[in-house]
Amino acid sequence: MKKITLILTTALSLFAFSNHSGGIYKTNTGNISFYSHTPVEDISAENHKVKTAFSTESGQLQFSCLIKDFEFKKALMQEHFNENYMESTTYPKATFNGKIESISSIDFSKDGTYNSKVNGKLTIKNKTQDVATNGTFFIANGIVNAKATFNLNPYDYNVKIPKMVAPKISENIKITINSDYTHNH
Amino acid sequence: MKKIALLSTSFVLLGILLFVYRMFNKPHTNVKENKAYEHLSAEQLFYFFNRNEDSAMVVFSDQIIQVTGTLLTKDLSNELEPQITLKTNINNGFIRCGFKPNELKNIAKLKDSSTVKIKGICKGMNGDDELTLLEDKDIILSSSIIIE
Repeated sequence: MKKITLILTTALSLFAFSNHSGGIYKTNTGNISFYSHTPVEDISAENHKVKTAFSTESGQLQFSCLIKDFEFKKALMQEHFNENYMESTTYPKATFNGKIESISSIDFSKDGTYNSKVNGKLTIKNKTQDVATNGTFFIANGIVNAKATFNLNPYDYNVKIPKMVAPKISENIKITINSDYTHNH
Repeated sequence: MKKIALLSTSFVLLGILLFVYRMFNKPHTNVKENKAYEHLSAEQLFYFFNRNEDSAMVVFSDQIIQVTGTLLTKDLSNELEPQITLKTNINNGFIRCGFKPNELKNIAKLKDSSTVKIKGICKGMNGDDELTLLEDKDIILSSSIIIE
């Protein structure tokens, strides 16, 4: 009888612990910025309302952000970006669906810095491409800060840039992701 | 005669340069100084997007919309753009309003579950049915200001 009680207690404790540190981490206030550098012009923009979540069990990581919500310093640049290149009324979102490869090696109950490869599919303007990068996960006081950078070529995503403007836009745009996730109860 | 022609050409060129400069440096939409294109409740705005996102994008995106709704959450964790959410009549549907950092004091004064009037630029609906972890939907307003 004692043995059964002990097994049940252990199982319940383990369940309680896994329930606390496992599950879904989420935010609606993630940050994505991009930076295009050419000798002619530097272009950058930021989006602070990125919806993103990951599962600590499967490692699945997802992002969704509105193209129109990228803010540029110059209003005219923002207008051209949305109307001429991204056609953001027709293609309003950019999404990412991927996986944190080493999710099992991250201890979400313990503060620290962990690195993992992140692979997945990025969709912009209905065009999906594979993306791979290294992500860094900083865990402190129950908040997971995730940072990653990768480069993309706008031509891979059906972004049509007129020849006259092409020298101003890099074919190697740097994307930076920085999001603070909290446990989603 | 030559002098007059030269002077006129210079004025025209100067005018063109000034026009190009002003176009290139035109300011972002000033939400405070511009009238709202439409006054809607949080439920109505969400309904339009939820019913047909494509047509709602054509009608509402990039427009200044004034929304009245019940305050659900204040999210001040992102210092670059403090945010609030308004309830809708759909469980996983919200209006998410982003503010400039200088609105932080006004946001802090808002009381939980109070009725608020917000004016902001509509950007669209964030969330995707195919992304199972991101099933809830937010209608996004940016550069928002609190009316009352």
